[in-house]
Amino acid sequence: MIQLDLGTPGGITFALIPELLLTGWCLLVLLVVSWRHETAEDSRLAGWLSFAGVVVSLAGMLALWFNHTSAEGLAQMIALDGYRYAASTIALLSAAGTILLSLGYLERERLLAPEYYPLVLLATIGMMFLAGAEDLIVLFLGLEVMSVAVYVLAGYNRVNPFSSEAALKYFLIGAFASGFLLYGIALVYGATGTTSLSLAGAQLAGKPLALMPALGLGLLLIGLGFKISAVPFHMWAPDVYDGSPTPVSGFMATGVKVAAFAALTRVLMETFPTATNIWQPIVAGLAIASMLVGNLVALAQRSLKRMLAYSSIAHAGYLLVAVWAGTPTGAGAVLLYLLAYGLTTLASFGFLAVLGRGGERDVTYDDIAGLAASRPGVALGLSICMLSLLGFPGTVGFIGKWYILNAVIAQNQAFLAVILVLTSVVSAGYYLPVIMAMYMKPAPARALQPGTRLWPAAAGVVAVAVVAVIVLGFWPQPVLDLAGETGRTLTQTAMPLAGQ
Amino acid sequence: MTAFLHSIAYGSWILHALVLLPLIGVVPVLLGPEATAKRTALVITTLEFLLSVGLWWALDPGFGTLQLISDSPWIPAWGISYRVGLDGISLVMVLLTTALMPLSVLASWRYITQRERGFYALMLTLLTGMVGVFIALDLFVFYIFFEVMLIPMYFIIGIWGGANRLYAAIKFFIYTMAGSLLMLVAIIVLVWKVSAVTGTISFAYEHLLRNAAGVGSVAPWLFAAFAIAFAIKVPIFPFHTWLPDAHVEAPTAGSVLLASVMLKIGTYGFLRFAVPFFPHVALSPAVSTLMVTLAVVGIVYGALVAMVQPDVKKLVAYSSVSHLGFVMLGIWAGTLQSVQGALMIMISHGFSTGALFLLIGMLYERRHTRLIADYGGIARVVPVFSLILTVVSLSSIGLPGLNGFVGEFLVLLGSFGAYPWATGIATTGVIFAAAYLLWALQRIIFNPLDHAENKSLTDLTPRELAVMAPLLVGILWLGLYPGPVLRRMEPASQRYLQLVGSPATRTTEAARPVAEARP
Repeated sequence: MIQLDLGTPGGITFALIPELLLTGWCLLVLLVVSWRHETAEDSRLAGWLSFAGVVVSLAGMLALWFNHTSAEGLAQMIALDGYRYAASTIALLSAAGTILLSLGYLERERLLAPEYYPLVLLATIGMMFLAGAEDLIVLFLGLEVMSVAVYVLAGYNRVNPFSSEAALKYFLIGAFASGFLLYGIALVYGATGTTSLSLAGAQLAGKPLALMPALGLGLLLIGLGFKISAVPFHMWAPDVYDGSPTPVSGFMATGVKVAAFAALTRVLMETFPTATNIWQPIVAGLAIASMLVGNLVALAQRSLKRMLAYSSIAHAGYLLVAVWAGTPTGAGAVLLYLLAYGLTTLASFGFLAVLGRGGERDVTYDDIAGLAASRPGVALGLSICMLSLLGFPGTVGFIGKWYILNAVIAQNQAFLAVILVLTSVVSAGYYLPVIMAMYMKPAPARALQPGTRLWPAAAGVVAVAVVAVIVLGFWPQPVLDLAGETGRTLTQTAMPLAGQ
Repeated sequence: MTAFLHSIAYGSWILHALVLLPLIGVVPVLLGPEATAKRTALVITTLEFLLSVGLWWALDPGFGTLQLISDSPWIPAWGISYRVGLDGISLVMVLLTTALMPLSVLASWRYITQRERGFYALMLTLLTGMVGVFIALDLFVFYIFFEVMLIPMYFIIGIWGGANRLYAAIKFFIYTMAGSLLMLVAIIVLVWKVSAVTGTISFAYEHLLRNAAGVGSVAPWLFAAFAIAFAIKVPIFPFHTWLPDAHVEAPTAGSVLLASVMLKIGTYGFLRFAVPFFPHVALSPAVSTLMVTLAVVGIVYGALVAMVQPDVKKLVAYSSVSHLGFVMLGIWAGTLQSVQGALMIMISHGFSTGALFLLIGMLYERRHTRLIADYGGIARVVPVFSLILTVVSLSSIGLPGLNGFVGEFLVLLGSFGAYPWATGIATTGVIFAAAYLLWALQRIIFNPLDHAENKSLTDLTPRELAVMAPLLVGILWLGLYPGPVLRRMEPASQRYLQLVGSPATRTTEAARPVAEARP
């Protein structure tokens, strides 16, 4: 148990150790790649260096976490609670996985510009600030650092027009979202005179929400709604996921989502804990719309990447159900589901990155027909991922959904729970055909490119992720405990003032 | 025997062994060579059956309570533990499952020629799931077994099935999953509502059973969720449309296990969970009328549709809808005879319909057609096959002296007092059954031998006889001397009636919280 005084330079430095380490490391890697950016070896070097940086930062984050580092008095600017540590850890894991998946992918696609990896690191720094922001300005800065880096990553395949389209689309929509978010911040500041999440929460507590902060809340929800791709702010997601390099799509589906959901939960629970009558109906509406639209439109997709894009919209809906609960259990459920979804999605995009043929954009259901015969390992792994996304017992996806169901049912809201499970049934209609194609259909005459094989680093990532999906599915106790504990820390951060 | 079992502490490990043995068996099946997969699977399923036989003596027949309970914490923070145990009802279902499994493996000997390792590994996983469902005493564990069973069956239908297998597999999966996810919501709601009353979060069956009355006004919704999940599984009309597709497309072993065991999980669910949890809803006049009506509609509708099927496998599939209607009628009539009869049908339907699917599979392996019109007069070519088919068909019809009669007679006898009209209509189902099966029999094994291909059919091989012999013994034994089985189930049935406070025992309402099961 370490207590830090964030008012002193030493305290704030210590509190930001993981972020500072990663920033320094990122600049170092930038220096290295400005020298060496020609060959495949250079690219690999940058990749492994960046991976090491993520590991170092992760070590710092875990050190903070395991020492139960907290703030003396009120945490300003940056949170010091389990919620930040857990969300940042998931984001860092997602970054590590993305880097390892990209190693072979970039070489195969001839994207040999090693600046890719510092961009991943920059985006991760943004995510960590977003997940830990205790102040609306920090939140905005984190969001922008993350988004700008990801815009570039989305368009990284310069020669591919779809990649450029993805980057442009993401950038334009993202700029809009940032605008909404800034307006929201301005209105909240105008109403409370502070940008601190908990101080603003203390100002707003105890009386019905006035029009100005209510508008601010709505605009914040819209801004973050774009980032989590909740319906109706989801239009960009399918095209962007589809056009981006596959590991980047995976990064967007996991890391970006983790950070944005962590920020959303924190804002709602720390600044607006007493305004549930306003935001709960909105969040419920977004959740229902996302679950319905995401799942139903995913049914119609032929390309696996687009299917996963729409399914990520659906999963954003499930996560919003957990956000809706507005309780420590709900906050814990958000984190646990993000972990479950992150592990599974990262592995799924990893498999897709492997299966994609060089230069071609889409892997369709027909392309993977008969895969079980030629690539049994890949088929088994991808099947387990699909079952986990479906929320089937024995996988971590089920544990995540089960926790969300618990969180909403404990709030006497069975309606959202029923919508959640019924739309999950719909999702069987597009996850199962993946398994069906691989196991039950004959291989097409035009077989996959013979050279498709898992490069060792990617094999390691997907193997670890798939094993984790199964192990946590059967032995969820540790993550359940962690989720419950971190969920409670969020309210403890908010509590000291909200009660006044 | 009891002393011997006691000396090896049989009761303390047997339930874990039954769940784990098939899972462990998956390893040698997958790692061994393709050619020995079926032998390994046969050895493991036979061993499983031999192990399970001891349960017959391990269970104290004097008590209707749950016995051999074993409880190990799994997710203590959420009140979830791996809790298993069984009573007379679970006992016979477990024995039915383990007995049919080696026969199903043996029946797949020549039928499955591709990816044998995968097939037998899935069969063993399925066995774990089916046994687990019948012994689970924690609702979380039950739900997991209930769902996990789906995957092997989905693959068995989807990979080794007939021409239309993909459609059948996904339909089967989505139907079952829709029901079970609603049940999951109901389980969680039940646990939270009960914890609001008792202060403890626990998924343990007995805990929920004792306090389920505290859920208050949501009870009808919870019952509806449970009932839909199980109704799809049974299947009760109008949730039955997945059944003909799945049964027809599945390979023989899949059809046998679907019909003989997996359908019973639905009726077992009603007896174990849906009705005892919410007896005031389940046995209220409105719900009773609805369920009895659906049961009777199922009986008559299933029989009538079976009558016009050109495909003999589809005929048997629809006959299952009809037979399971009798089970539902028996459960809702709520007398000792009717419940005992329902259980008896669950067992004997497992034997008769399983045997029918096996015989159809044997015929299909020879002629590669299941159309009744393609056969005729084959009694002259394959006399042993025809004799067995006749006996099995008669048992399915419910001829006195064979197993089918006992259950249906008890159900009709026990239900007449409560629902005379419904029982009267249900009786016609027996007559229709005679009509569709005898008519099919006539067209297949009698009539002129007018298809040249049928003249060269070969009769049953020793392997096939070895598959059918135990089933025939079971059919005759249950028909002539059902006493031991009925006696074994009776205390559990009585306890069930006590729990639900049926008309016969409603005066004992005060005694509803039946004493906790003995350890």
